[in-house]
Amino acid sequence: MSSSDSSSSSASDDPNPKLKPQPLESQFQSSLTLEDSDGVARTDDASVAEQQQEQQDEGSGNGSVDGVVNVEDNGHRDSSDREEGIGSGEARDGDGGSGGGGGVVWRRANSEVELEVEAPASPSSSGYAGGRGSSGASSASRADDASEEDEIEVVGNDDGGAVGAPDSQAEWTPGKRHVDEDDASISWRKRKKHFFILSNSGKPIYSRYGDEHKLAGFSATLQAIISFVENGGDRVKYVKAGMHQVVFLVKGPIYLVCISCTEEPFESLVAQLELVYGQMILILTKSLNRCFEKNPKFDMTPLLGGTDVVFSALIHSFSWNPAAFLHAYACLPLPYATRQAAGAILQDVADSGVLFALLMCKHRVGTSLKVISLVGAQKASLHPDDMLLLGNFIMSSESFRQVTSESFSPICLPRYNPMAFLHAYVHYFDADTYLILLTTRSDAFYHLKDCRIRIETVLLKSNVLSEVQRSTLDGGMRVEDLSVDLQQHTGSTSRVEDKPHTETPERIRESSLVGLGGPAGLWHFLYRSVYLDQYVSSEFSSPINTHRQQKRLYRAYQKLYVSMHSKGIGPHKTQFRRDENYVLLCWVTPDFELYAAFDPLADKALAIKTCNKVCQWVKDVENEIFLLGASPFSW
Amino acid sequence: MGMASVNTASEGMQLCIFDLRRGQQEGQELDKILFFFPADLPFATQLSVIGLSEGLITFTRIFSPDAACEVIEAERHSHVFFEAESDIWMVMVVEKSKESKAACQVDALRKVLKEVHSLFVLFHGTMRSMLEKETSGGLIRSHLYPFITDYLSDFLIGKKLQLPSFHDCLMERGTVQMLTVGREAAIEVQSLVKVLECSAGTTSCYSLVLFQDLLVSTTLSPDDTISLFTYAVLRLTPHALSSGATSWSYLQRTNAGSQVPALSTITNSGSVSDNIYRSRDTSLDQDNNCQVKRPLHHNRWFRGNDGFLASDIWGADNGSQTSVTPIVYLQLTEERMYLCAYQYKSLTIILLVPVSSILNGEQGLSLVKQQVLENVCVLSVPASLKMLRVEEKLSKGWGGENAYHVSGYRYLLVDDERVSRASPPAKVMTLAKDSLLAMSKLREEVNLEKKAKCSSSEVNCDKELEICVRAKNGAWVIARTSRGKELYMVLEKASETLLYASDAVEKFSNRYCSGVFSLD
Repeated sequence: MSSSDSSSSSASDDPNPKLKPQPLESQFQSSLTLEDSDGVARTDDASVAEQQQEQQDEGSGNGSVDGVVNVEDNGHRDSSDREEGIGSGEARDGDGGSGGGGGVVWRRANSEVELEVEAPASPSSSGYAGGRGSSGASSASRADDASEEDEIEVVGNDDGGAVGAPDSQAEWTPGKRHVDEDDASISWRKRKKHFFILSNSGKPIYSRYGDEHKLAGFSATLQAIISFVENGGDRVKYVKAGMHQVVFLVKGPIYLVCISCTEEPFESLVAQLELVYGQMILILTKSLNRCFEKNPKFDMTPLLGGTDVVFSALIHSFSWNPAAFLHAYACLPLPYATRQAAGAILQDVADSGVLFALLMCKHRVGTSLKVISLVGAQKASLHPDDMLLLGNFIMSSESFRQVTSESFSPICLPRYNPMAFLHAYVHYFDADTYLILLTTRSDAFYHLKDCRIRIETVLLKSNVLSEVQRSTLDGGMRVEDLSVDLQQHTGSTSRVEDKPHTETPERIRESSLVGLGGPAGLWHFLYRSVYLDQYVSSEFSSPINTHRQQKRLYRAYQKLYVSMHSKGIGPHKTQFRRDENYVLLCWVTPDFELYAAFDPLADKALAIKTCNKVCQWVKDVENEIFLLGASPFSW
Repeated sequence: MGMASVNTASEGMQLCIFDLRRGQQEGQELDKILFFFPADLPFATQLSVIGLSEGLITFTRIFSPDAACEVIEAERHSHVFFEAESDIWMVMVVEKSKESKAACQVDALRKVLKEVHSLFVLFHGTMRSMLEKETSGGLIRSHLYPFITDYLSDFLIGKKLQLPSFHDCLMERGTVQMLTVGREAAIEVQSLVKVLECSAGTTSCYSLVLFQDLLVSTTLSPDDTISLFTYAVLRLTPHALSSGATSWSYLQRTNAGSQVPALSTITNSGSVSDNIYRSRDTSLDQDNNCQVKRPLHHNRWFRGNDGFLASDIWGADNGSQTSVTPIVYLQLTEERMYLCAYQYKSLTIILLVPVSSILNGEQGLSLVKQQVLENVCVLSVPASLKMLRVEEKLSKGWGGENAYHVSGYRYLLVDDERVSRASPPAKVMTLAKDSLLAMSKLREEVNLEKKAKCSSSEVNCDKELEICVRAKNGAWVIARTSRGKELYMVLEKASETLLYASDAVEKFSNRYCSGVFSLD
């Protein structure tokens, strides 16, 4: 992420130019302006000011002053050239000892490589450093935020987070912290969960904590362990020591390592490493392997410049987003007709040459992603993991988030095609709701912009956006609303919508043991529809109030998921687990998986009955909580 | 026997012991190796195994200074670590068979290492003290080599080492199995123990009473009990003596027929190593080498005319025909004790007499033995007669090899990690492979939970846990932990419902575990 020397420009507030992080946005945002230059790679350093001016002229970016809309000059990639993605990266690498180009490099990637190599990154840092500053990405000053992510193991037995803060998730600051640490620091050694990406020559690429450059020695040690075992004709999977686990994942020339004492099972950690790798592929495509083939000492940190914030957001999500281990996505509860309306217009657009159209929104709490609707072109299907990574990429990048701005950025969907770039048009309708249009064509910006306008018109006309806002406020299913008598539910199609408002006086607490949560001591549930690749999760309610408790429950679910799906012998059919914290019940069938948490004193028979009711309830309202009949999911 | 098998070939299994305080200088690396199996592996390979182990011990200490590397799991091998004594590590590298790839019983393998170490300490004292006695390392190498190869030969079936695998998920190494005795028999046993102690004439002697391969009574500390019990079942009990009969005890699954060729495999490779060690440790003179005792040597114990077991392992006493009585070390007190074992039918009695209390060696000891059998003290009945009675009582109440089988259940019950009871191995073998794999996996999970609990709260390691899993094949696989007791159970023919399975556990708990696992 070393900033290019040429990025001298304006926003550099970092005294150390070598380590100065390149704002992610600057690299990923593509310039509207450039689109004007119809497809010719610009190699001149258009000055930042110029660009911004242009944008303003462009008119779409009313927020241009803060650089939101502004992009560097690499605008057009040749879509026919998808596979070449990284090629230019190599070229650049070979080209500049200056390390210049910094993060910009990859961007130029798939277009006319050689030419672009010349292009200094100057525009890249344009408005964005400011934006990044606001996100606090790598500023050490944020380091002391008392977020759970920073917790050092000594602090508590429980890996809970900010003590007692009921909503501390909101306090989580994206971006890397503790850059001042390295492997000699006690605090660094005591972090509960490290993630490292390194190259097979031992060069550090990313570290969750600490400065990669200072961790070169440590990185070399990790590489040595991996290659030592490899030389013996084997491949190391993990090492355990006390409560610590060191998990290794080798992906061609890329090594990923997680060091954790969070008690998460190996299977979970390795799945998380897979996602971290996927996130990297999403940014760079797998063709980066070729760079390593050509030059084993290839330094790819510049290619990932500024993406710290993306990785740290992803890693953070491993502690609270069930999508990360369920391999499913969540939908925003909406009246069936509303979702239909949204789906229809997206379908319309998809038929006009858009590969995928996704209408998403941010969850009330945290930055969880919920799907309002999505469609794909014929036969194209989107893997839930890709959605997770794409959503994380977009939501963690400040610049995408500017309301009413539009961004056009190359991305790769690792599960869809790890070798090729797609192009994502992103637009926020409001603070929470955004549209992603994916295309294979690099010159489709204006087309997508038109599509967006059409979509926006329809969404406004059919009140979809206001419904979305209402739903975000109302939240989803609540265990308290699970009434004892199932009859009450049937027929109430708008149940989810109305629930928070309707009183159900008939509701009885079945178990006298329990004063909180739903009937029979039900505290929470997760329901995953196998065919739909979607899940629904009940809202957290008392007594799972604090972030610490939520995270603990999340971890318990994760463990349960791994236990149910254990390799070679799974999936199990049912599991009942009682410890001092919960009763957990899990039920896996070919159609669905249910994970439910109860009061630890809950009665077994009642708990089972309640699970049946939850399943029935979900089925009753599936029209509203799931996206049904989305054609691309017919795999 | 269906166990995951491992070739004795160098590929199959490696076991090494090394001392991190030795050989830290360039060129001296070989000095840290105290034991390596197979010994004929080139030194470069041995050093590479130890190098990786040492590297990871150092590496993991960065993050986990108190508990260094415990296991390296690779695609094809598991490396299981055990720090036997401070800075002395035992590492076992096991090749994964296709069958057990899903679940390698790391904890069970670690218990193998722990067991062989505690047996070694029982007869030779700690490795560290031996290293301090003779700093070149020749002494300990010459002791470790035969000891461990003898121990490993117990795992040989044919030419293959059969180490614990998922098939063994319903048994617990490193625990003792107790005989359940009625009240009356218990009183008899108590008085026998009293008589033994009193007739031996010294107050500080200890006794261990076994019936068949089950423990009846002990006056030793728990750790010493486990070591001695393990040794007794391996070499002293009637089953162990009558080699050839396949034992129903898991500690003894070897049979003589298969042992012979296998042993020679080991001994062959052993001779190589003997040469190596001799040539390396020139300081070690011939005499020294001859004095190495092999307490685990097979078929070297026999019953004497007086009913006491004797062995030529420790040589014969000068001048007399009697063989030398072995001396064992107690762990806590580091006291040295003579080990006298008496056998009457199914009854085996081990008497430990302090070396310090016997002035004139074997002669004095034989006097003690005689006293034990004949002396009439407190209760006016000689011990020999008492033994007859006890044996008779216990035999009467003894339900045979399947005494602890509970039909419909396949279970393992562990109390305080020291005492266990399980369904007979033959019954466990009737379970489907999938059920065993599921149980093996579940035990791994429970071990993790236990470990987490212990590391998080120093005061109370007890974990209250109940897990009922309905596996893919429909079997219920159940684990319960409560108040230091653990119960593992596979129910293959239970009905579909969780409630039924829970009910079955409840019944079992009420009947056989005094309700420890019952909910109320």
